[in-house]
Amino acid sequence: MVSPLLFWFVAFVTVIPALSLLFARKPVHVAAAVVLVMVGLAVAYVALEAPFLGAVQIIVYTGAVMMLFLFVLMLVGVDKTESLKETITGQRWVALTLAVGLGALVISVVSRLPLSVNEQPVVGEPAEVASWLFGDYVLVVEVLGFVLISAALGALVLTHVPRLYPKRTQAEVHAARIAAGANPVNQAFPGVYARHNALDAPALDPEGNPIESSVSRVLKVRGQTIDGSEFKGDTQARRRELGAKEDDQ
Amino acid sequence: MSPVNFVYLAAVLFAIGAATVLLRRNAIMAFMGVELMLNAANLTLVAFSRMVGGIEGQIMAFFVMVVAAAEVVVGLAIIIAVSRARQSISLDEPSELKG
Amino acid sequence: MTYNVPEIAWAPLVPIIVVLVAGAVGVLLEAFMRNVALRRVVQLQLSVATLVLALFAIVWQWVAIGGDGVVVLRSMIYLDRQALAWQFLLVVFAIGGVLLFADRNREGEDAFTPLASVAPGSPDETVARAKGLAVTEAFPLAMLATGGMMLFASVNDLLFLFVALELFSLPLYILVALSRRRRLLSQEASLKYFLLGAFSSAIFLFGAALVYGAAETTGMRELLGLYVPERQTLLLLGLFMVVVGLLFKIGAVPFHFWVPDAYQGAPSPVTAFMAAATKAAAVAALARLSYLVLFRFAWELDWVIWTVAIASVIFGTVLAIVQTDVKRMLAYSSVAHAGFILVGFAGFSPLALSALPFYLLTYGVATLGAFAVITQVRELTPDGAAGAEATRLGQWAGLGKRHPVLAGLMSLFLLSFAGIPLTAGFVGKFVVFRAAVEQGAWPLVVVAVLASAAAAFFYLRLVVLMYFTDAPDDASPRVEVRPTGIGRGVAIAAGVIVLVLGVLPAGALNLADEAGVLLSPPVVTGG
Repeated sequence: MVSPLLFWFVAFVTVIPALSLLFARKPVHVAAAVVLVMVGLAVAYVALEAPFLGAVQIIVYTGAVMMLFLFVLMLVGVDKTESLKETITGQRWVALTLAVGLGALVISVVSRLPLSVNEQPVVGEPAEVASWLFGDYVLVVEVLGFVLISAALGALVLTHVPRLYPKRTQAEVHAARIAAGANPVNQAFPGVYARHNALDAPALDPEGNPIESSVSRVLKVRGQTIDGSEFKGDTQARRRELGAKEDDQ
Repeated sequence: MSPVNFVYLAAVLFAIGAATVLLRRNAIMAFMGVELMLNAANLTLVAFSRMVGGIEGQIMAFFVMVVAAAEVVVGLAIIIAVSRARQSISLDEPSELKG
Repeated sequence: MTYNVPEIAWAPLVPIIVVLVAGAVGVLLEAFMRNVALRRVVQLQLSVATLVLALFAIVWQWVAIGGDGVVVLRSMIYLDRQALAWQFLLVVFAIGGVLLFADRNREGEDAFTPLASVAPGSPDETVARAKGLAVTEAFPLAMLATGGMMLFASVNDLLFLFVALELFSLPLYILVALSRRRRLLSQEASLKYFLLGAFSSAIFLFGAALVYGAAETTGMRELLGLYVPERQTLLLLGLFMVVVGLLFKIGAVPFHFWVPDAYQGAPSPVTAFMAAATKAAAVAALARLSYLVLFRFAWELDWVIWTVAIASVIFGTVLAIVQTDVKRMLAYSSVAHAGFILVGFAGFSPLALSALPFYLLTYGVATLGAFAVITQVRELTPDGAAGAEATRLGQWAGLGKRHPVLAGLMSLFLLSFAGIPLTAGFVGKFVVFRAAVEQGAWPLVVVAVLASAAAAFFYLRLVVLMYFTDAPDDASPRVEVRPTGIGRGVAIAAGVIVLVLGVLPAGALNLADEAGVLLSPPVVTGG
């Protein structure tokens, strides 16, 4: 038997985050919520005498699958939100009716089952699981090996880019830069000032003018830079100021 | 409390997952819906397994996890390939496939 | 805790093992052979040799296990002649498919992109093409898919069925995305196919879980002997969801959404393989499930089969008529064929067990042949090189005058699809409809026959277009047949099979009759 408190806890941490699949706008939020669902399910497995499966659930789903989802989300662009506007009128209601109907049907059918719960269940300890895996299910295990092979091969086919161009040494890269008329030395770093030390401020050349190329292009596009003019003080005035201070002493 | 309640919970999760696949236009979201459906099936298997008292259902759920992991690899590879080709992964974007 | 070493009869598994191991060896070849041109040749030879070996192994097992079948592994796999017949079909389709994979035109281009991991049309892709790269991984992927399908047609356990389903689906999702031309479309098709496929397999799995809950087992043969009145509803619901998953793979209405997109987007050789083999594998599994379990629910499930069959036949036919693209037309025609196949299941006639393999053989061979022809009809680029496949219907005008052999073969396949006498398709339809009529499902057969008459319209329209319409002189781009050695060979072989099965079907039908038995179930005392 399962403690009712535990059941309601599991129900709470699975259903509510799962609803974010339907209502949240940002895929990253959804992925994070689904991680919570997976953890909740792992708790349920442990409560249902399947400790090994609970551990596998954590390792495979929260540890690998959902992290993979998050990686891919980051790769294809995190800040994309999705409009929830429906494209085919009425589709939303048809889909919701189908899904809710299916769920209700399953619940109503299951609820009519004669309830008999085995009082002395076999606990899914690793050794017990192993004796089944390599018993009658051994052929399934072997076939799963082929499933994994085809998944790995498929992923490689679609994502692995072999070296298409000859590898260039550092000397060659440098020669190409010179040939292209680029500056042979390092570009100036962004500004480092006594009053402002950050990537968004350009460096100043010896004459005190800002060097545009020292600020990241991305920051410029986003309009997150400052032009550095506020740091370009009147050198003479500043010197006089400092000199005056010295005179005071 | 009887383990059968977990079957009800699984039915709810399965319905949410199915609705997600049918409603969401973002491929990754729809795919997460599929994952939720598979997990709901797993919970059903484990809960029934507990009621029966054996662990056959647990073994099956274990297989499903392996298969689901393989499926995720392939699915995400396809999504990455598509998104490399175009920087959008909406199922309704101006589509080259018209029915 | 007890561990019993499982007793496995390995011999009947030899065909499947041979194919799957060849897939794994192919993966190793990918890793260790650097020379692309050589690798491609070796992969092709390995695949074809293994598949032929598998054919021999199947024949050997056919003789060896006799009519009764063998228990390979308790409750997991029972091999009988029914399973071997389906395996034979699948291997034949795989041979045709793999040969088409390797087909190259005069410019040395096959149907696959040189490098699938770079963006379509990017400079990187051009570099990859110039370097002569090729996605030779297509061969091991096809072998793994074939092995998965052979398992799918043979296993007895619903969960094992799910694993086999994924084993053959995953490589297919990838293969669909590898088209050389219009790869954006190809990738989109792959994504759609994948999402809908994953969705349907999740439904299948939930169904299997409910069956487990109702019956405490997922073995079909174990379900056969089980009867607990108060659990029947749950069992029925679970089985219904399992059937939905299978109908998706068969491509029947309303689970056909992936069919037109996947058929059109995929490279034609992949479409040929997928169309012929996926349907056969899914029908095999549905037949096994039907005759072991579902027939007990004939009263509850018959209306599902009737509705889906009628809907598929009508929607498939009507939508095929309005298509302007040859591949899409064949896709909708395959939806209609899914309907014809389901007609055979009406009433669960025992005749269907032998009719269905025969029907799928005729359908699959004609499909392979038709797509082999499609790969050869090309748009010409301005400099006279072969460009994309010319799939718009109008582009096929006048082909019959310029290339009578090829157009004749295509017409033969189209007539076979339409079920005109003296072609294999006619015999196939005849045996399937006979099975349905025998069970009194004649209204269904009447609908199916009427629909095939309507379907004949769009098949014949293409034939007329090829023979009796002149190609517009100013067509741009120009359309030309670029015969390729392998493509033509496959088309001719398929043509011969279609004719032989149409004119002299007796031998094949006799074999199909012998395949029409499932391993007789063990005696089970009602639970």
